[in-house]
Amino acid sequence: MLTTPSKKQPMLFFPEFRNWESAWALEALYVVAYEIRILAERADRELAFNGKSPEKLKGAGSFLMKVFGVLAGKGPKRVGALYVTCQLFKIYFKLGTVNLCRSVIRSIETARIFDFEEFPKRDKVTYMYYTGRLEVFNENFPAADHKLSYALMHCHPHNEANIRMILKYLIPVKLSIGVLPKDWLLEKYGLVEYNNVIQALKRGDLRLLREALEEHEDRFLRSGVFLVLEKLELQVYQRLLKKIYIIQKQRDPSKAHQMKLEVIVKALKWLEIDMDLDEVECIVAILIYKNLVKGYFAHKSKVVVLSKQDPFPKLNSKPVNS
Amino acid sequence: MMMMNQGVNAQTIASADPNSLEGRYIVDASQGKTSFIPSVNGSETASWTTHRVDNHSTENGILSNPSYHHDQQTQQPARNAQDSLNTASLSSSSTQGTTCAVQDYSSYAAYNPTDPYGYGNSGYSTSYYNNGYQQQTNNHSYSQQQPNHSYSQQQPSHSYSSTVGSYQNTGAPYQPLSSFQNTGSYTGTTSYSTTYYNPGDYQTAGGYPSSGYNNQTPLWNDPSYANYTSQQYSTYAPDTTSAYSSSTAASTSMNNEQHYKQWADYYSQTEVICAPGTEHLSAASKTNQGSAMSGVYPTSSTQPTSSFTPASWRTESASSDLPSLQTSATISTAHDGWKQGVPSFQNHHASPMQPHFQYSLDSKASYDNFQDQQQQTAPQGPNSQFPAAHQVTQSYQSPLPNAPSLDTRRVNMMQIPTNPRIASNLALGLSKTDKDGFTTDAAAKPAYISVSMPKPNNKVLSNDTTISMLKPGKFPNSLCRYVERAFNLCKDETQRVACQAIMKEIITKATANGTLNTLDWDVEPLFSIPNSEAVNVESSQYSSPVSSLPKYKRSPSRRSKSRWEPLPEEKSVDKSVSISNDIVQYGGWARKAPSANSESKENAVNNVKFSLLEQKLPSKNNQRPAKRQHLADGLNAANNDASSDSDKEQSLTAYYSSAKSIANTPEEKKRRESRSKRFEKGQGYRTEVNYFKPKNAGAGNLYSRRARALMLSKSLDDSGSKAVEDFDWDALTVKGTCQEIEKRYLRLTSAPDPSTVRPEEVLEKALLMVHNSQKNYLYRCDQLKSIRQDLTVQRIQNQLTVKVYETHARLALEAGDLPEYNQCQSQLKTLYAEGIEGCHMEFAAYNLLCVILHSNNNRDLVSSMSRLNEGTKKDKAVKHALAVRAAVTSGNYVMFFRLYKEAPNLNTCLMDLYVEKMRYRAVTCMSRSYRPTIPVSYIAQVLGFSSTSDGNDEKDSDGSGLEECVEWMKAHGACLTTDNSGEMQLDTKASSSSLYMPEPEDAVAHGDANLAVNDFLTRTPL
Repeated sequence: MLTTPSKKQPMLFFPEFRNWESAWALEALYVVAYEIRILAERADRELAFNGKSPEKLKGAGSFLMKVFGVLAGKGPKRVGALYVTCQLFKIYFKLGTVNLCRSVIRSIETARIFDFEEFPKRDKVTYMYYTGRLEVFNENFPAADHKLSYALMHCHPHNEANIRMILKYLIPVKLSIGVLPKDWLLEKYGLVEYNNVIQALKRGDLRLLREALEEHEDRFLRSGVFLVLEKLELQVYQRLLKKIYIIQKQRDPSKAHQMKLEVIVKALKWLEIDMDLDEVECIVAILIYKNLVKGYFAHKSKVVVLSKQDPFPKLNSKPVNS
Repeated sequence: MMMMNQGVNAQTIASADPNSLEGRYIVDASQGKTSFIPSVNGSETASWTTHRVDNHSTENGILSNPSYHHDQQTQQPARNAQDSLNTASLSSSSTQGTTCAVQDYSSYAAYNPTDPYGYGNSGYSTSYYNNGYQQQTNNHSYSQQQPNHSYSQQQPSHSYSSTVGSYQNTGAPYQPLSSFQNTGSYTGTTSYSTTYYNPGDYQTAGGYPSSGYNNQTPLWNDPSYANYTSQQYSTYAPDTTSAYSSSTAASTSMNNEQHYKQWADYYSQTEVICAPGTEHLSAASKTNQGSAMSGVYPTSSTQPTSSFTPASWRTESASSDLPSLQTSATISTAHDGWKQGVPSFQNHHASPMQPHFQYSLDSKASYDNFQDQQQQTAPQGPNSQFPAAHQVTQSYQSPLPNAPSLDTRRVNMMQIPTNPRIASNLALGLSKTDKDGFTTDAAAKPAYISVSMPKPNNKVLSNDTTISMLKPGKFPNSLCRYVERAFNLCKDETQRVACQAIMKEIITKATANGTLNTLDWDVEPLFSIPNSEAVNVESSQYSSPVSSLPKYKRSPSRRSKSRWEPLPEEKSVDKSVSISNDIVQYGGWARKAPSANSESKENAVNNVKFSLLEQKLPSKNNQRPAKRQHLADGLNAANNDASSDSDKEQSLTAYYSSAKSIANTPEEKKRRESRSKRFEKGQGYRTEVNYFKPKNAGAGNLYSRRARALMLSKSLDDSGSKAVEDFDWDALTVKGTCQEIEKRYLRLTSAPDPSTVRPEEVLEKALLMVHNSQKNYLYRCDQLKSIRQDLTVQRIQNQLTVKVYETHARLALEAGDLPEYNQCQSQLKTLYAEGIEGCHMEFAAYNLLCVILHSNNNRDLVSSMSRLNEGTKKDKAVKHALAVRAAVTSGNYVMFFRLYKEAPNLNTCLMDLYVEKMRYRAVTCMSRSYRPTIPVSYIAQVLGFSSTSDGNDEKDSDGSGLEECVEWMKAHGACLTTDNSGEMQLDTKASSSSLYMPEPEDAVAHGDANLAVNDFLTRTPL
């Protein structure tokens, strides 16, 4: 119902806009596109409240897609395409139909005629934020890191809400490539849910990580970073082994590179994590396989033989091998 | 008979005369025209009177009587009969010029229909009209008109009906030819007509095509002619009778005009309407009036035919006309009388020959007058008739502009025969006439037009305009256009009716003035042109009717509904109206008309046909009878051939009519079902609608109701106004009656048959049977699918439904049939969401596992996980699934295979599908991490190869697990060595580069091994 007025006017406006050669009415278009989305969202809320099927936003999405088609071609109006794209992203993310983003992204990123940098900055930031989130879903951490970092760098520093939204995804991404944030950053932007995760990474405290994940599971699941954070477990194992290695090195440097499986099991027990030899052996095998630990595992003697050079390589902004 | 007729006529005449000058005019005109057949005229007049009497008698007695009278008249003096009819009509007309006209119209309409369709149409129309008049119309329209006429007086009409019966008898002989069909159609039509004039027209149109067309030409024509003639004559008589009867009825109730209007509306709607009308007629009075009508028709047709053929309208029509002419003189007189007096009819008849044209013109004029009156009173009715008349006149008129009304009528009649030809055999020489007829029909009878398709209407219009142009006697094209324009301006039925009336007047005047052809109708102001040219007016009227007809049809249908509302036919009419535009409708009408006729025959004559039809298909009788008649009669066959659509429509109309009358025989229901299926599209709607209506009228089956509902829903777009929105779907839901426990799954391609659907208690047994079945998965899957189908069809959603889906999902999981499982899972999701108890947790776990292991979509996984609530997460199965997820995401193969071994429910089955992948990943990982070797026994243990043994006796069972593992390792390219102690070792370093994932052994090019034909055949049960 709310969309009724908003839908007709754009219907009148866009055909005209399509015929205008210059982009003088872009601002008006922005307003229309924005209003359409907002009104559709409200209408859907109203519809859902009344027990009806909310599909206004969907309709708004298909309409904006047409608008995008008008803008995405050559010419001066292309500069407005990114704004509409961002509105589409917002709609698709809200609707959970992010797969629809792909076609829009393709048309933005494959167009050679228009340099991405020529788009308005605010649109670029929004665009990078959403595409970065998509990369998080795909677990393509380097790309996600690039896009989210771009968004963070270009986001207006006073717009803390936006920065927080970006960090919400950028922090897990950075964590998975071995980069830990400063504490003040988490505090400044109220991202305390990551505190324990980071602590666990620093300490190699598997239990803390699991507790942190369990504590904020809903939140992480909702934002979609749960699986990303869960994969930090291997890094925690790595940190744990490194700690054991350091301790062994302090005791007996000559045998430090030979780590008995029992020791690891004992350390996990100390963390109140009950794992038997087979499981730990498996974990170690995975660590070696993923190149988080350099060395090999001798099954006969149940010993992890660590490389003498850099047995626990840092990720250095590279993702864990899969 | 004559005496009777005369006596009746006298009465009617008296009434007629008093009734309206127009009637007299017509009569006079007819007489004057009858001059063609002076004797005829005289006889006509006499006959008219007699006809009137007949009509009256029919009306009074019952249509059948009149029809009988007509028959007699037609037979004896076809003219007389006709005349009598005409007179009757005339009388009625005289009494109510309009009514007469209406009657004439109806008859004409019938004729018209016959023209297009041939006799069938006319028959239908007549029958419809008759029926309508007699039965419904009689009551209503008749009542309307009747008041005017003697119709009301028309008790005669009753006699008519009786006479009609006699006619039918006579018709019987004829009937064999076309008469039967005609009669059938007539009856049908009558019924229709009774119900609605329009329907009558339509029906007639339809009827014509079917019967007239088939026989078409000669036979049909003859018959049709006979019918037509009979119709005209007899029809006229019948029509008149019917009309009369109707008029009588009308007279009784004054309804004639209204009816006419309605009819006109119907006409306009006619084709469609006719169907409804027919339905109505069929339903109610179809048989009687129809019989009477048909009877009359047959008789008249038989007689008339010969005479008419001479008339040369179209030879057949002419022959029929001739008879009609001869008789026609009488008939024409009758027509005239009908219209307003025998004279006009006579004139018409006379004109029919050439005179016919002239007469037709005249008659048209008179008709016009009548029509005018009728139109005024009952524009549609008149229109339809007029159209016919116009057609006739047009075709004929071309020769004689003035004769139009009668001629037109005759022509229409003639045309009807010709029309049938045209419809069925346009090639026939009649085609012209047919065209004319069509055009006229179109103008006059939308049904025809519709039958002939819209084109005919156009033609008709053009014809109308070119009354002279159309055929010799056609209306100038400009007039047609004029009429078209006029009708296009009409926004509702009333407007159309008024328009029609005005048109009639205009055309009549134009015809009278001789300016019909000379006027530039294109320039002529619309409607404001009451007089401009009688012919033109007529044509305009006609055309207007035509143009209006469509509109009318719609509006008429509505009106008809409103008026007819009580009658189921109305709906059908409406539907038919909506459909009316289509030929099918016309055909339907025609068919209906036939059926109606048959019924009427049966009723009146108790003809075999009727009896057959009725007997065979009480409700369906109409259709079937029509069909049967068609089949039986070459004419019918011809008609059928001519237009299957029309046949269908006719059948539909027959359905309607029969449905009403016979309504709810099981056979009918079945037939309806099948038909509804057949015609699910445009026609189907109508049919269905008809079905529904009849069913409604009688006792709607679930089937019919469902079909109807479906039809309605489908037709909503088309018809729009069906008001089907509020269906009680629950009431339409199938209730299974099948007691078979075992049932093969067959994807439904049509509405489910309750006899093949199992009720819930049987389904429970079936589920149990599947549970305990030892047969293979394919069999059980098939059984479960059929159970699911039956549940769906009966809209059963309860715990049984959940059980069935759960059972099937489990079976599918066990068989590794993921697609089938996914279907069940998605259904279960909605069922659980509705709060139906089931193994919710178990399937939540399955869902989770499915996402984790098989969709490999992180976002889906996250969303699935986020949907789990705390309670669910504590469930054993869900916990297990979540643990599996963790193991998979971390690649923890040890954990995975431990979980694999202790998986609850069927989680194992889902994990099974992932085991191969997991093992390969694990071995790849090991070969990278371990140095220098790993014992295969360890691998076998960790990777679950010793699945046959429990953890306790791992070592004992290692043998089998080890062997399996070694085989697997070899298959995947692992390098195995034997160490000093003889234990098999995996050379990790060598293997790390040599491992590969082998192609699945059962891989097929198309990706689904189950699709292999041979494999499928061997696995399929039975």
